[in-house]
Amino acid sequence: MSPHIAQSPTALADPDELALGLPESYLAAGHTLGSWLTTTDHKRIAILYGLSITLFFFLGGAAATAVRLELFTPEADFVGSDTYNKLFTLHGVIMVWFFLIPSIPTTFGNFLLPLMIGARDLAFPKLNLVSWYLNLGGGLLAAVAVLAGGIDTGWTFYVPYATVFSDTAVSVAVLGVFVAGFSTIATGVNFIATVHLLRAPGMTWFRLPLFVWAMYTTSLIFVLATPVLALTLLLVLAERAFGLPIFDPARGGDPILFQHLFWFYSHPAVYIMILPAMGVISEVITCFSRRVVFGYTFMVYALVAIAVIGFFTWGHHMFTSGMSPYAALLFSFLSFIVAVPSAIKVFNWTATLYRGQIGFESPMLYALGFLGLFTVGGLTGLFLASIPIDVHVQDTYFVVAHFHYIMVGASVSAYFAGLHLWWPKITGRMYPETWAKFAAILMFFGFNLTFFPQFIAGYLGMPRRYHVYPPEFQVWNVLSSSGAAVLAVAYLMPLGYLTWSVFFGARARNDPWNATGLEWRTTSPPPRDNFLGRVAVLGPPYDYHPAGSPPTQDQPHLPTQESQA
Amino acid sequence: MSEAPTLRSILLRTVPVWLGLVALLAVSVLLAYRPLGPWNAALAFGIAGTQALLVAVPFMRLDTANALDRLTAACGLFWLAILFTLTLADVFARLAEG
Amino acid sequence: MTATGEPSPALREPSPPLREPAPLLRESAPSLREPWHDLGFAPADALARQRAGASFGMWIFIASEVLFFGALFLFYAALRAEHPEAVAAAARETNIVYGTANTALLLTSGLLAAIAARAAEVPALRRLVLVCLLLTAGLGLAFLIVKGFEYREDIRENLVPGPGFKLADRPTQLFFGFYWFATAVHGIHLAIGIGLVTRLAWKGWRAPDFLATSPQVEVALLYWGFVDMVWIVLYPALYLVGRAG
Repeated sequence: MSPHIAQSPTALADPDELALGLPESYLAAGHTLGSWLTTTDHKRIAILYGLSITLFFFLGGAAATAVRLELFTPEADFVGSDTYNKLFTLHGVIMVWFFLIPSIPTTFGNFLLPLMIGARDLAFPKLNLVSWYLNLGGGLLAAVAVLAGGIDTGWTFYVPYATVFSDTAVSVAVLGVFVAGFSTIATGVNFIATVHLLRAPGMTWFRLPLFVWAMYTTSLIFVLATPVLALTLLLVLAERAFGLPIFDPARGGDPILFQHLFWFYSHPAVYIMILPAMGVISEVITCFSRRVVFGYTFMVYALVAIAVIGFFTWGHHMFTSGMSPYAALLFSFLSFIVAVPSAIKVFNWTATLYRGQIGFESPMLYALGFLGLFTVGGLTGLFLASIPIDVHVQDTYFVVAHFHYIMVGASVSAYFAGLHLWWPKITGRMYPETWAKFAAILMFFGFNLTFFPQFIAGYLGMPRRYHVYPPEFQVWNVLSSSGAAVLAVAYLMPLGYLTWSVFFGARARNDPWNATGLEWRTTSPPPRDNFLGRVAVLGPPYDYHPAGSPPTQDQPHLPTQESQA
Repeated sequence: MSEAPTLRSILLRTVPVWLGLVALLAVSVLLAYRPLGPWNAALAFGIAGTQALLVAVPFMRLDTANALDRLTAACGLFWLAILFTLTLADVFARLAEG
Repeated sequence: MTATGEPSPALREPSPPLREPAPLLRESAPSLREPWHDLGFAPADALARQRAGASFGMWIFIASEVLFFGALFLFYAALRAEHPEAVAAAARETNIVYGTANTALLLTSGLLAAIAARAAEVPALRRLVLVCLLLTAGLGLAFLIVKGFEYREDIRENLVPGPGFKLADRPTQLFFGFYWFATAVHGIHLAIGIGLVTRLAWKGWRAPDFLATSPQVEVALLYWGFVDMVWIVLYPALYLVGRAG
């Protein structure tokens, strides 16, 4: 076989791994803007999502930067109270609905789900494109709300403040989130149908990679929780824009009912953010410890259990809202139960590492960071599920620190782990590994410096959502704001070196990490139809070393030009 | 799939269901005007549930649908039950406390 | 590098691409779309799978919609538990004649939709399907027209919540908040359904084998059935409360 070096940047990378005469990559299938905006290729739609959520991530991040800047000193010296309210609301709305919830499912999920199960595309490709437009439209509406003066309700839109009292652009923002909700429902329908109907021959349910299971369970939540949010937001809109009495306590309405409906969605929404992260981490940890995942079936059951039990626990957000104490007891108990499958997952990842041949490539650094941050976030969640402690720390920075450990520490770390793991597959290019490692470590330290002091400040009694605070809390806030600066650098770095790699990075091999998933059994980047010929699956996933086998020398390595020779 | 349906077989499977639906509608209107206390609501929604089932099973063909579609419909109802049970647990507990 | 250079034995890739059947499939079954055209099945099987996929997707969406309207009914249940007398007093003000007539219209449209869905599988019954589809959409439109008359009367009777509301007890306004919201949201769903069914009739009239092959027929008519069900539950909630005594 004569060596064949592809000439165009998007053509095939490594001729040794596959026969020649290969179709062009999905990136080369069209270069016009129109070819992107009308594409039904799940891989291209993933890229579209990747671009839009990056935009929203930095928009939400800018708001967070302003918040941390203001909290550097106890006085109001940068923004006033109204502006501060609008800043943290903007941060919350954008980050929750336009970054975290779509982040992993719509990018890696879109790109990899068909690849991992050996399909050509998602079941409903046009719906997939529509879903992106809805997401973008919703995000633009939220942006319009910002331009129209912002919103000051907090991301939870609690009534009656959001319906009766706030005089900011709540209606537009609510409409934006409502529209984006349709986008996630469409994605959920698509993923569920794809996993059920388009698996390759031999890809049985218990041969699915854990990432696919994570996407499937996340989609269940998409489909079953999002409609309740959609209706709740419509009710808010009806009360606010059309003057219909819905939750108005002056006419006998029940604002606590709003909270029930809101958290029926928004608590499972936390699992929308963390289940995909768990899927990514399972792929990374197995690959970089060269071990079959410990307890595959339990990992699957744990994902399903988290998705289902997650629907029973929403009331722990309402312990101090005037909910019945009997209902609070019930919800507290149910909330403790969901810790069990989460713990199973942490133990199984750890057991996968045990006696593995651990490589410290950048995806693995992010994944190890995830393990630590998720454990801290999860354990402090148990504090909050316990009513007496929750009453003490409700609406303090303790809660803020807890959910940032899960939603940012864990989910965003996993997002970056996945980004670094699959970047060579998605773009066909390698990124500079040293920079990536540095960013991963910086992110871990920056994150802890930002949010660990908030646990202490919160436990000492510093309330959330205030722009001025008693001077004794300043030391924790200075630590936190300094950490935020580090974190900002750590988030900007991948933007720089990953963009650089698209143009100047070394060509990626088809399987640079010696990973086993189906997505690595095609070219980097893959062709429009994903695979060359039909795919058949003959064995379970994670075909690395079985438990107890003696070590061999196949550490994952960074491919260099020499190693490809 | 069984043999292709004829016009006759289609009408035989659908028109009686429609007659049942309209009859149930009439019954529920008549019952609404009888003072039955708490039974009024129970009967009204019981009949509505039966009618909804008649639309879902013969009209929307859940009876001949594959197991996956039926499971999906059941999932919708199960999650609805979660929402109702836990929320109303709080609503009724609050009402009982006064 | 000492790595095992071979791809994992668990996964194999048949090297000569078996791609010839795909174009043939596309020609023989114009309703086959990506990615269903390329699964390696005979045209009839691929078509059946695509239909099953579309129906399954619609059922997932319906399960989602069940939660959407379920949350609305939960609001109603809590309202009724918290203010039973106000709900009864307010619900007496709705117009049961319009409500019942509309229920009958929708039940009948459901029958026609069910006939259309079954007959669509038989190419010989194409004309019947077209008639049923048009009648289904027509009855839906009639529902909306009746609803419009009802709205006009409601407005005339000051049943719009706000200053000057007909009833004095303030929670009665909550019931009418629910009434206007629920009927409007249902009306929007129904209007979408009318659009979908009319579009089916249009496409079925233009392309002779559309009705027999396209998965859109089943999808649209499942949606119609669901909108029907929502009204069936809304009807006693809005019109049958507080009539006795």
